[in-house]
Amino acid sequence: MNSLITDISQEIVSGVALGSIYALIALGFILIYKATEVVNFAQGELMMVGAYVNFFIIQGFTGDMGLPTGWVFLMGLIGSILFAIIFGWFLDLVINRPMRDEPVFSIMMATISMAIMLRAVVSMVAGTESLVPPSPFGGTHFKIGGVIISMLDLTIIIGAIVLVSVFYYFFNKTRWGIAMQATSEDPIAAQLMGVPVKRIYSLVWIFAAIVAAISGVLLSPRASLIDTNMGFMGLKAFPAAVLGGFGSIPGAIIGGIILGVIETISMGTLSYHFHWVKEINDIIVWIVLIAVLMIRPNGIMGTKEIKKV
Amino acid sequence: MIKGRYEDENLKWIPLLIGLVILIPFALKGMTFSYKYYLYILNTVGVYIILTVGLDLLSGYTGLISLGHAAFMAIGAYSSAILVDQVGLPFMASLIVSPIIAGLFGFLVGFPALRVSGMYLGLTTMGFGFIIRRLIIAMREWTQGSGGLVVSAPEIFGFTIKGDWANYFLVWTVALLVIVAVRRIVKSKIGRAFMAIRDSEQAAEASGINLAKYKMLSFFISGVLAGLAGVLMAHTNHFISTDHFDSMLSIYFIIMVLVGGAGTVYGAVLGTVFIVLLDNLFVPELETLLHTMFSIESGELESFIFGLTMFLFIIFQPTGLYGMWLKMRIYWKLFPFNPKKRFT
Repeated sequence: MNSLITDISQEIVSGVALGSIYALIALGFILIYKATEVVNFAQGELMMVGAYVNFFIIQGFTGDMGLPTGWVFLMGLIGSILFAIIFGWFLDLVINRPMRDEPVFSIMMATISMAIMLRAVVSMVAGTESLVPPSPFGGTHFKIGGVIISMLDLTIIIGAIVLVSVFYYFFNKTRWGIAMQATSEDPIAAQLMGVPVKRIYSLVWIFAAIVAAISGVLLSPRASLIDTNMGFMGLKAFPAAVLGGFGSIPGAIIGGIILGVIETISMGTLSYHFHWVKEINDIIVWIVLIAVLMIRPNGIMGTKEIKKV
Repeated sequence: MIKGRYEDENLKWIPLLIGLVILIPFALKGMTFSYKYYLYILNTVGVYIILTVGLDLLSGYTGLISLGHAAFMAIGAYSSAILVDQVGLPFMASLIVSPIIAGLFGFLVGFPALRVSGMYLGLTTMGFGFIIRRLIIAMREWTQGSGGLVVSAPEIFGFTIKGDWANYFLVWTVALLVIVAVRRIVKSKIGRAFMAIRDSEQAAEASGINLAKYKMLSFFISGVLAGLAGVLMAHTNHFISTDHFDSMLSIYFIIMVLVGGAGTVYGAVLGTVFIVLLDNLFVPELETLLHTMFSIESGELESFIFGLTMFLFIIFQPTGLYGMWLKMRIYWKLFPFNPKKRFT
């Protein structure tokens, strides 16, 4: 019994870390969705690109000198963020601006096609075999009452908390954040009130790309491999965003963490004790998604939207 | 979805289409030695047309997005394979029963569609696709898991349909029937209700259209057609596995519909022909051409070109190939007096 509790709390800890990554990806969706009502299906691919850029920078600076130092990792992070800024701006230019007045479905399909192209380009440039990224903390971990917490997981959790708080503060307290809220409410009225709507849109896409890049950088050492299938992680973050109520930043965190914990527990303890769970543990997030949409389409933190005719 | 209904899209093209379908294999046989390969490609086109026309009915006409349509195809294919080979149902019966099974699953997906719309529906159907794929693997006793299943050749009135030649006529007969049937549906009260729902759910409901009923019906018909495509695919390909129905395929189907022109039956047909031919004829050529310059693994270029094609179509030609054709036709019809801003 005691070992069961230890197992489950171990799984909860790593589930929270996984969930933090889901939450970060979901945060990217939500940023774009809040401002432009577009769902960016390429978010997972942005994350993948961030991870690849980070990997190549680290590899480039390490050379043959053996293990990379902390500065190299920092450089990788900064480099991938810089790349993400350019990339987010580019996406705004090619997807958001020409398609402003198109139906949502078309924009969604445009982002899907962007995702397909990104995946193809990345595997053309970087090759199809998986790369093994170095971890900045090696195998450092500590124990609390039998539960092992690795330094990496702790960094991921803290990083997610910091990023989300920064964005929460930004959205609700700063001038630009409030301008963004105004834009998402009604772009025309916002423009008339003097909000630079165009710049807000590119800023939002840039932020989403940055969040994606950071989550890619955090995820890659945890998954201990980078390949082009990483983009599918982005799809798994959708249920997280929906569970939390699309459009709510705290909701993304709660949804992400709940999903991460559900996933790790079903992969660990539940699969061990119930044989049939093993069959469904890689689709469990989708089962949760459909259940949530059937029972409470607006999610946990979502507000009900009323459509005016 | 994409606005603009084309009144002049009518059934007079059907005889031409039938003639073309009968002529093409003979022409191919006369022209090339490798005509069997081309027939195989055309069989794929035919199977996909059955599905995309159904998908068009759902996404183009009713405005409900499905990103998991390959799952319905998988349901049709697997249930037919199991019913014919393991239960012992005749092929003709399975041709009716298996699509209905797929249609019932469509019904099941239709339930969330009543509550959610737009991208939520896209996500739900995508999740449905993943779940079905997993369930097929989990039902190992019948489906052989992820190893795949060998399917027997179909038997119709005592004749065994075997070889690309016979498959071609089987697939395309069904495909033409489906095209005509969907044309009839679109022109009927049901089709008008679908389009009303697409253009405005609120207005449709206010004019007395039962939203739940018609949305479910749309999902059901679309599921039936996808299941039918799956049955034909299983029995002409003689081998199915879950890899034949992965989630990427669902997205390719949507690409076909969009490239052809959503909301037009002939558009879906055109788009399917275009994309499958692009995939099978143009991409390998380009690949060998580029291979001398860069080292590119196969598959990457294909998906890149698919993505690029769809992207360019969405941005520059949202009405798709069919819209392009209409523009051209109107241009020549009114030749000296061309309206500058007719289709914008």
